[in-house]
Amino acid sequence: MNNAVTFTGVSRHFGAVRAVDDVSLTIAEGAFFAMLGPSGSGKTTCLRLISGFEKPTGGAIRIFGQDVSDTPPHLRNVNTVFQDYALFPHMNVRDNVAYGLMVKGMGRAARYAKADEMLALVKLDSYGDRKPGQLSGGQRQRVALARALVNEPRVLLLDEPLGALDLKLREAMQDELKALQQRLGITFVFVTHDQHEALSMADSLAVFNEGRIAQIGTPEQVYTRPATRFVADFVGSSNVLPPDLTARIGGPTSWSSLRPEALHIAEGGPLTGSVTTLRYLGAGTRAVIDVAGTEVGVFVPAGQPVPQPGTTVSLGFAPHDLHVMADA
Amino acid sequence: MPDAMREMGAIIPASGLADRLTGLFWRRPNLLLLLMLSPPLIWLGVVYLGSLLALLVQSFYSIDEFSGVVKEEFTLKTYVELFRPQNLDIILRTLAMSAAVTLACAVIAFPIAYYAARYARGGWKAVFYLGVLLPLWSSYLVKVYAWKLILAKEGIIGWAAEATGTGFILNAVLSIPGIGGNSLSTSLLGTFIVFVYVWLPYMILPMQAALERVPTSMLEASADLGATRAQTFRTVILPLALPGIIAGSIFTFSLTMGDYIIPQIVGTSARFIGLAVYQLQGVAGNLPLAAAFAVVPIVIMVIYLYVAKRQGAFDAL
Repeated sequence: MNNAVTFTGVSRHFGAVRAVDDVSLTIAEGAFFAMLGPSGSGKTTCLRLISGFEKPTGGAIRIFGQDVSDTPPHLRNVNTVFQDYALFPHMNVRDNVAYGLMVKGMGRAARYAKADEMLALVKLDSYGDRKPGQLSGGQRQRVALARALVNEPRVLLLDEPLGALDLKLREAMQDELKALQQRLGITFVFVTHDQHEALSMADSLAVFNEGRIAQIGTPEQVYTRPATRFVADFVGSSNVLPPDLTARIGGPTSWSSLRPEALHIAEGGPLTGSVTTLRYLGAGTRAVIDVAGTEVGVFVPAGQPVPQPGTTVSLGFAPHDLHVMADA
Repeated sequence: MPDAMREMGAIIPASGLADRLTGLFWRRPNLLLLLMLSPPLIWLGVVYLGSLLALLVQSFYSIDEFSGVVKEEFTLKTYVELFRPQNLDIILRTLAMSAAVTLACAVIAFPIAYYAARYARGGWKAVFYLGVLLPLWSSYLVKVYAWKLILAKEGIIGWAAEATGTGFILNAVLSIPGIGGNSLSTSLLGTFIVFVYVWLPYMILPMQAALERVPTSMLEASADLGATRAQTFRTVILPLALPGIIAGSIFTFSLTMGDYIIPQIVGTSARFIGLAVYQLQGVAGNLPLAAAFAVVPIVIMVIYLYVAKRQGAFDAL
């Protein structure tokens, strides 16, 4: 399989600020790739490096094997769905979608036909004559998507595409984006700070921290085997155990992680502490146990007895679920 | 005990005039709005629009040609007089000057406003505002007289042209019929230059405000979709800045149309509407014709705004 995007030691420094620092990654053609990280971690800058709105201060970026260091944004076969959608308020929806074709000199009839086709793809067939101001947030998002897809890009970039939508709409759009990506078969690269979104949509993802990649892998790898404490903290509700505690329960003297689902309440288990809080989640209850000053969450599936706050319980786990992390 | 409880209840008793007024305004929100709006509305309605209306009424009167007394009878005679060749000449000259000044202001202001809106940050933004506003702090008359000196035959422009051996260019420009003259300060070109200078800030500021409201992501989206810089300018920046350009042009256009001082100090003896109004109401004592002249800029502005609206200039508002 070809590589859609390749970063080789790419940096983007703004004076003393290292927004992106020596990042190397490859995104396979046809992948749904997520860049996950907190704000200021460099994920959006990476996206802008691909689209060409930022120039790297070091390293090389290749899109389908071609070095794009000297290629301005309008000559890259890459399109972006902007976080604020950036629809043109003075044009109707059809003209917005047809914009990319218009600037390439396509005739009115041909580009409107193509635009209507794209609007049908995002299920907005009858909205062509409206102005962006007359649409809801979800509809604007679809228009932005149609507008970016009309140029038939080989890579579609999405900058926090679902950030402005409410929860229900966001979940519906997640499924739709995933289905769209599979149907079109083009590479999607999307930036998000929402770990659930990244884990559920992407087939591979990079976790960013302070301008560098903390981990790169499939959602399962990142979730079950976080490389660093930062990844474990950011990606999941995984329990992070300090070195002394890890050593006490049979691991090496280093940081480790244990997922709440991997733990169960067991008489005589290696982790013992008192229950501090309970949170009812529907499919089960999450209990937090204070083990020698470290908060350890355990997932108690519905139907099993829930320990009451203040009581002392012991927790057991399968040894292979204890994941030792890289940082000391 | 129950009494004490009641006193400590959920409602704090009103005390004093301020509390009772606040309560009154809270119950009747329109009352506060009315109180706040009535002084400016009375000013605007009675003093401002009222006197404008009185002026309009005057324009429908006529003057008795023998006695020079205003006849207070409604007639369109005065308006017919506007179409006499010498009066029509004044109107067309003013219109052409206003259009030229507006166009020149728009062309000069755009790069300045664009730079200020898109690139200037922090200190440079302050420098921009200061640079644009500073000339407005000094007296208008002082500036116009200063320009008269600059544009005079012995002024700095003439001197610089002589010193650099480019005097022939200046002379060639001044020999263009219609806009030329003896020197820049006695030509319509000179009047034009001073008008552009004096009204430029009124074009820059609304333009800059409009450009500031265009998000960077919109320009990036345009480039992202394959537009060149020129295409982005034509299809995105210009339409979105148009309301600001129109707002600025309303200032430059109407200010030029109404001004009577600049053409008096810098330029030829050719008259403009403002000057005509000034002379007709003063020396000539022909108030009806002065009023009719004053109506011309109003009508032109209304037509201008109507056309601008029809062209979709306010769609991006």
